[in-house]
Amino acid sequence: MREDNHDTTAPRAEEVRVGVYVCHCGGNISDVVDTAAVAEAASRHPQVAVSRDYLFMCSDPGQKLIIDDILANGINRVVVAACSPTLHELTFRKALERAGLNPYLYEHVNIREQCSWVHKADHGAATEKALRLTLAGVEKVTRQDPLEAIQVKAERHVVVIGGGVAGMRAALSLAQRGLAVTLIEKSGSLGGRVAELDTVFPTEESARELLRELSEALLQEERVSVHLHSQVEQVEGYVGNFTVRLRTEAPGAPAPATQEVTAGALVMATGYDHYEPYAGELGYGQVPEVMTLPEFQRLLSDTPESRSTLLFGGREVRSIAFVHCVGSRQVEGVHQPDSDGHINEGCSRVCCTAALHTINRTLDRFPGLNVYDLYRDIRTYGRGHEEYYEAASKKGVLFLRYREDGLPQFQASKGGGPHTLTVTDWLTWGEEVTLPVDLVVLATGMVPRDISGLVGLLKLPTGTDRFLQEVHPKLRPVELANNGILLAGTCQGPMDIGESCAAAQAAASKASILLAKPTIELDPFVARVNEARCDGCGRCLAECSYGGALTMVERAAGSGTRRVAEVNPALCSGCGACVAVCEPRALDVAGWTLDQFDAMVDAITAEPALAGVGG
Amino acid sequence: MRSETMSQPAETLRADVLVVGAGIAGLQASLDLADQGKTVLLVERQPSIGGRMINLSKVFPTLDCASCITTPRMASVAHHPNIRLLTYTEVSSIDKVEGVFHARVTRKPRYIDEQQCIGCRRCEEACTTYLPDEYDHGLGARKAISIPFTNAIPQLPVLDMENCLLCGSCAKACPADCIDFLQQPRPVELEADAVILTTGFDLTELGAKKQYGGASYPNVLSPLQMERLLAPHGPYGSVLRPSDGKKPDSIAFVQCAGSRDQSLGVPYCSRVCCMYAIKQAMLLSGSLPIADITIYYMDIRAFGKGYEQFYQNARAMGIEFVKAKVGRIREDEEHNAILRIERQEDGGRPEEVTHDLVVLSLGMVPAWKPTEGGMIPVEAGTDGFIRCPKAKVSPTLTSLEGVFAAGTAIGPKDIVDSIVDAGAAAMEAASYLEQRSSVRRHTPDVARALPQSGPGPLEAAVTGAVLAGAGEGN
Repeated sequence: MREDNHDTTAPRAEEVRVGVYVCHCGGNISDVVDTAAVAEAASRHPQVAVSRDYLFMCSDPGQKLIIDDILANGINRVVVAACSPTLHELTFRKALERAGLNPYLYEHVNIREQCSWVHKADHGAATEKALRLTLAGVEKVTRQDPLEAIQVKAERHVVVIGGGVAGMRAALSLAQRGLAVTLIEKSGSLGGRVAELDTVFPTEESARELLRELSEALLQEERVSVHLHSQVEQVEGYVGNFTVRLRTEAPGAPAPATQEVTAGALVMATGYDHYEPYAGELGYGQVPEVMTLPEFQRLLSDTPESRSTLLFGGREVRSIAFVHCVGSRQVEGVHQPDSDGHINEGCSRVCCTAALHTINRTLDRFPGLNVYDLYRDIRTYGRGHEEYYEAASKKGVLFLRYREDGLPQFQASKGGGPHTLTVTDWLTWGEEVTLPVDLVVLATGMVPRDISGLVGLLKLPTGTDRFLQEVHPKLRPVELANNGILLAGTCQGPMDIGESCAAAQAAASKASILLAKPTIELDPFVARVNEARCDGCGRCLAECSYGGALTMVERAAGSGTRRVAEVNPALCSGCGACVAVCEPRALDVAGWTLDQFDAMVDAITAEPALAGVGG
Repeated sequence: MRSETMSQPAETLRADVLVVGAGIAGLQASLDLADQGKTVLLVERQPSIGGRMINLSKVFPTLDCASCITTPRMASVAHHPNIRLLTYTEVSSIDKVEGVFHARVTRKPRYIDEQQCIGCRRCEEACTTYLPDEYDHGLGARKAISIPFTNAIPQLPVLDMENCLLCGSCAKACPADCIDFLQQPRPVELEADAVILTTGFDLTELGAKKQYGGASYPNVLSPLQMERLLAPHGPYGSVLRPSDGKKPDSIAFVQCAGSRDQSLGVPYCSRVCCMYAIKQAMLLSGSLPIADITIYYMDIRAFGKGYEQFYQNARAMGIEFVKAKVGRIREDEEHNAILRIERQEDGGRPEEVTHDLVVLSLGMVPAWKPTEGGMIPVEAGTDGFIRCPKAKVSPTLTSLEGVFAAGTAIGPKDIVDSIVDAGAAAMEAASYLEQRSSVRRHTPDVARALPQSGPGPLEAAVTGAVLAGAGEGN
């Protein structure tokens, strides 16, 4: 730690006194960047009054350094050079607030992702870059005025999109918490994929009872309104104040009905689709005896309890092979991509237990069956799941392990006997085994449902797996980058029922937090118009892709009026597209003005500031 | 010097919700409630909040540094106006009387005046007694009076009275005159309308399997010890063999060394061991690029979002995955570990392999077991974790109304799932409080009048619809 010799008298109102704090991030930064040298060099900047380096700036003692300097050393601008601002910008703004300083008199400089992590091999250059970025931050914050958060009204009403188990759970929790809820379901019934099931693992409850319980609890809630046969047609507005237009096409109704609801938050609970094997994948679509796990579960449910043998196509089934990882854990160059060229690299999480649950149910009813289980890894990870694996082994299920580069091969029967499945089994000697099978059940995975309409409408982020993408799996696991839009269940990725309900409740919690107060605070980094400079050309309007964020208004000027641009701060995203086309420099984004950019570029391109350190 | 005595009248603290355990699940549940406007009493038996997570190096699958994710949450909890934090506090009992929970807790003595201490660590510098550091799992040393770790919250030292020589150096060095050798445990009463149990996990014992050396080999480590070796601010500053300080060339991970094992009484899968072993293997291959790393496994369970890709990346990096059971581990005279393995692929030959460092991928057991009685009468599942009678639809409910549970208190779980759980438990608790207060607000007649309104068009639509849906599936 180091500090200059400035006195600690209170600064003049206009005197800028910057505090610079260089974080070691344990060693994540300081193993590569000479953090002490950066702090020392920054302390020589005329506007910098205090410059320190510390092990973990984000820790409580780290934050206390800043607070103490603001209170005791008259620091009135703060630069922290640390990790990515997505992690900790907010942490430090809050620290400024606690010390009574405007939280926007703060600049976060990323010297971890942008320096130590990418320039591991060249400590000297990484240190030099870290210093330049830090000095650019100092220049920027020196030109920063205090800003005020934008206040928007919070509508205590939530729209939940999707009436499967996650949507129902989210709606119920929100209503029980005292919020009004509109639940929108595309089909004619609630329950989604769970309604396809008979019993559920590991509780062995009836899926029907489980849904009945949820729907009855929902009906108790006056605050919930359910719209079946309905889809979201248009969404306008912003967090706290979305306007959702939904379109209902009830069967038998003379015409579709549309309706608008105003909501403070949206919950995405649009669910998943079963992976659909391509024609000929392990014989699927080629012979009726090859079916997916959901199709087999239906066959089992449709077989009367009284029957002692399992029949399919009028013939007794004596042997079944279950094949895991169909449509999951796919490998490029091995698995056939779908029609859009995608493969599903991820694990679908539920199919191992679902398959073993079904195998146990099948063998409990038809103990004489031969069951083969062709797997890659058995992933019965959940509480009460391993028991199904154990039980299946005890019941005599024959497990064979295949590798991704040796997928099982299906051969349809030619003479009416059983079909055959050939697999290289690695639990023995890598032998090729040929199994006679009456049925083949494909444990198909979960794939993202096509919700491209909603994704486009709401500009939702998706991951490389094409599921909706959370902001951060640990920091904000049920939030999308779109402010006020939350994630519940399998639209985010594979989950079982309990996990979907937990996610739905966590999303409900976030919505409750968002709408807990009458107003919501938004970042003030939005476009501002200097009306004196604006010539009313309207080019900014053409560039703006956020409907309603920019409008042209008439202002009284002399005897007549003149046209100028006006910003709706709640709708503006602060992207800066308008700034770039404004010739008279009448537009600026608060907190990111052109003057600030100019100063930063000058600082970064200045003569090397750090001769002979760090190398 | 001052001292507080037992004769002091017990104080009573009140809040909407009592949260027991300030690991990542407890922190998240507390924040979710506090941000909804509920008041929270958060009790932690360790001297710092942060739980197991703050002790880790980096976390899968993003490889974010654990401190970077945990410390801001710890700081938010510490500064939240709706959260009252009680660290170094043991809960002895929680009773439910007429719908209100009364907890008896004991604030353990740190032997310092917590109000006067400024966290300057001069006591720690002055102390001359070195002891094994629990935070580094015995790999490093700490003083007999010390702040538990760098980013601990609160920044208060604890004097280890059992090992203190009572030399008085710390008291002489303290500028705030706050060392108090006579401090006594202090009972406090807590009152809340709901409880969330986030009591967390312990690892199975390193020495539990005698065949693996029973914790007597210096180079056979627990995964949490490996976390400390990998942490940038860890005990040695790099990965070294504890026996001789050499850089290891050949490192093995033994999977399911405390899970899926009837003989240990842990038949279940611990969910995180595959992923933490893969993560540690990846971090090791970063810090020891020429070392050979082998993972002996039964099944690789990389089931979470992005986990399979993480596993495939590890394979591509050259980490070797061998499907084999490890039957026995012994040591040679240089403390290298000799593993007797039986391959479960390719013919299943038994063979012996030598590694110079071994990590046993231990499993998870509950840190607080309802079956051991005490604290609060919630039921346990057959696995010893708190039972969740409605695991599907209300996964954080316990057998006692008004008590909720989250994270690894209700079964092995990774950090992502624990955090989501914690949000769910907070929502359950908030809804429960809402229902209670609305029942209190309404007269019983009004409350009963609600379902009597008869089946409206909505009810008919929904009930009919659900039945139709289930019918399709059958």
